[in-house]
Amino acid sequence: MNAYHDPELDDVLQDADLRRVASLLGTARTPEPPLDEAFRTGLRRQLMQEAWSMAEGRRSWFRRAFAPPGIAWAGAVAGVLLIAAVAVWTSTQQNGTLGPPVVASNIDGKNNVALAQPILVSFNQPMDHQSTEAAVQITPATSVVYAWDAKSVTLQVTPVSGNLAPNTQYQVTIGPGAKTAGDQKLASPQTITFVTQPPAASPQPSPTPRPTPANPLGEKQIASMSGASSLALQWSADSQSVYFVDGKGALQVVSIKNGTATVVAPSGASAPSISPAGDRLAYILSGKIEILTFASGKTDEIAPAAPPTLVGWAGARVVWGQSDGIYEQTGGGPTQLAPLPTTGAVTLISIAPDGGHAIYGQSGSLFILDVSSGKSTSVGAAHDTFAGWSPDATQLMYASADHLVIADLQGATQSTLPVAQASWSSGDAILLGGDTTVYEVRPDGSNLTRVSNGTYRSPVWAPDGSSFAFVRGDSLWVATAPALPPEPTIVDEATTVVKKFMDARLGDKPVDAAAYLDDNGKKAYAPGKLNLVITGDPHFTRYYLLTEEAVGSQPDTVRFVVRLVLTHGKKDVSGVEETLTVVRDSSSKQFLVDQATAGAQRDLGKGPEVVSVDVTASTIQVTFDSDLDPATVNGGVSVVDAKGNPLDAAVTYSNKMVTISGLDLKAGARYRLVVMSSVRDVQGQKVQAEYDLDLLGPVANRHAERKSGSSASASPTPVASPSAASS
Amino acid sequence: MSDPSRDEERELVERAQRDPRLFGALYDRHFQQIYRFVYSRVREQTAAEDVTSEVFMKALKAMPRYQDTGRPFAAWLYQIAVNAIADRYRTLRPTQTLDDFHDLSVAGPALEDLAAHRDEVRRIWALVEALPHQQRTALLLKFQEDMKIEDIAVAMGKSPGAVKLLIHRGVTRLRDEASALRPVE
Repeated sequence: MNAYHDPELDDVLQDADLRRVASLLGTARTPEPPLDEAFRTGLRRQLMQEAWSMAEGRRSWFRRAFAPPGIAWAGAVAGVLLIAAVAVWTSTQQNGTLGPPVVASNIDGKNNVALAQPILVSFNQPMDHQSTEAAVQITPATSVVYAWDAKSVTLQVTPVSGNLAPNTQYQVTIGPGAKTAGDQKLASPQTITFVTQPPAASPQPSPTPRPTPANPLGEKQIASMSGASSLALQWSADSQSVYFVDGKGALQVVSIKNGTATVVAPSGASAPSISPAGDRLAYILSGKIEILTFASGKTDEIAPAAPPTLVGWAGARVVWGQSDGIYEQTGGGPTQLAPLPTTGAVTLISIAPDGGHAIYGQSGSLFILDVSSGKSTSVGAAHDTFAGWSPDATQLMYASADHLVIADLQGATQSTLPVAQASWSSGDAILLGGDTTVYEVRPDGSNLTRVSNGTYRSPVWAPDGSSFAFVRGDSLWVATAPALPPEPTIVDEATTVVKKFMDARLGDKPVDAAAYLDDNGKKAYAPGKLNLVITGDPHFTRYYLLTEEAVGSQPDTVRFVVRLVLTHGKKDVSGVEETLTVVRDSSSKQFLVDQATAGAQRDLGKGPEVVSVDVTASTIQVTFDSDLDPATVNGGVSVVDAKGNPLDAAVTYSNKMVTISGLDLKAGARYRLVVMSSVRDVQGQKVQAEYDLDLLGPVANRHAERKSGSSASASPTPVASPSAASS
Repeated sequence: MSDPSRDEERELVERAQRDPRLFGALYDRHFQQIYRFVYSRVREQTAAEDVTSEVFMKALKAMPRYQDTGRPFAAWLYQIAVNAIADRYRTLRPTQTLDDFHDLSVAGPALEDLAAHRDEVRRIWALVEALPHQQRTALLLKFQEDMKIEDIAVAMGKSPGAVKLLIHRGVTRLRDEASALRPVE
């Protein structure tokens, strides 16, 4: 044991005692430390995100300097220097000897300028208000008001509508008519150029923010379990009270607000189940099924031939399980809906929230019973345990030795989570409770978040997806879990891909861009078709998403119209629109560009232009770069169907935006937005030529699908054996 | 003759230096050992996660500046880990239960010998916990992580001689403080 020999240490461990100590050190190992697999994968994801942004930032200094952000910064710096120079000049000159006026602005040359801000124009000397304001020209046509600082050296130009137009290049020119306070004219016109940012994203429905006091989850002990070994609990539909059976078999309802308890059945009760409508409570009492109607307080009774073991609901109908099958009550009495196997030790474990399926155990294995067909499907491996249903009853959770598995009704694994006692909320958050922690996670394994440390056994979400009940010690507790970040919608996901695709093209990286094309997409950008890289003068300087809409769900399909802006010198001179159809790839589950078409090149700066179109089934909002003459909007902006017939709709105009409302666009149907050349801006300039934008009736922009086959490969953090608490 | 695994690692490192998006392969290769080492020093899962995150994030960001000195890439990661732990050491007082150790030499001795030996191992590692932290780090890297002295030197930012001295002092102190340790054999 003490024959330790390490050539590296021979010279310092010559003493036999020292070698013996080294030998002891070398023969003992700490066990592998506790490791949260979700941490390992989460850290990897974080590193990869960082790596991607590092890779993005590695473009050459030349490219970075001349890329839009680089130009913006350079412009900003130049602007500030210019303003500083103007200020120094102003302070060092005497009235009457100032020389010709000099114009500057802190946003000159900037991209991505915020929409809600005035345009500040600075001069190197006090200006004459009237002649200067008269000399201001703004393109696109914008109604503005003027204000001056006390020294008359800074002119504040504010759009009457409040905001600048999105995605728009503005040019603010101070013409030679502008005079200084000393009556000196501008030597030549001076122009400030900047580009505004995209419109603000439509606000996503976000969960109500909750206060974070000292007890951040608002944990509250509400009742004693009186020795109950498992939790049979149901929330009321309003999430204000819980029904549960204590260790003495008493069915109680407890208000979570004040803890007031009312006994529904003093003893012998089990398997409480609230109807989907929340108006009735079914439970088992002394071998019969009691159905309590809350409104009337009346209790109905069903007396099955054999003792029931579980009660559930199929819509408004009570269903129950007994030893030989699943039953419902019909006019002729109890009627079997589906039989249970008659061989082996069969235990009915849970009835799905919609009554369409049930879970039973047979000889140590789990089976899903399709109540309508009577067919059973095996799920998981031997000794796995059922852990709960998804609220829509299309998926279920079971616990293996290492993981909590999300499976579909055919038993196919959809994702894996850390093993724990689980509950799936109406908002698609899964609580993972146990003896030491409670986590929240999305069903696909994303957003794994430790909510709190402590004991949170058998968690059960309330219908509101915010409160949950759990067991600590011998007591029932309630708490409020913070909301997980909203899941990205399919349009969000697809937008990310389109931006990467377009950024690669803008950065002259055709190979990188091609990575976002599927086989069809590659054909669209094949030689002789569309160009991945746009060269020549005017040159491709920026792009923006004119419109995006979800147009298909199988597979997820999002349609974009992207406007590529071509610039000559500093001025945007023309635009080309590409319509990109982006489809979720069936194997990788990533969005890829599947189809691409380009429209004709269109001159910019020659009249009002559409810069953003927001489409829903009932409303289309069309944002222009210019302030329009409202009288030309009605009849000038319309939507037609595939046959060219105008749709019946109300057209209103406010702040550069035309709203076409009262529509009923059919998903997938073809429509066309038409902007006639009769539409004029406030300066009387017409739309240069009729503008048509083809649209499809949108489908709902839902949150991304649970990614089938994805695996968050997490393993045990909160280790606990699950129970069928949420059945 | 070159060591194929070193060549492979060198290639992975060079690729990750050219394109940080390829850092994932290095992470996969070294996560477990770095996490284990960090955990053995901080003895608390959340803290170990924090430090491990810091180590890999720093490593990713510093990849462009990494220079192959002929030592394993892991030695550099350990170096970052040693520094990150040192930063936290003032606030984290490690605690450890003696039951945490697995004895690799359990096969063989009679049960009573085994019990005595296990007891001895536990006691000596408990004494390691009380060593000055540089001695402790050196002993952990040498005897738990089986690292070469030169690699430990890189990890600890010291010369090989200084590492040997730390190990010598650590083992000597253990011998002195564990004078009651009895030989198993």
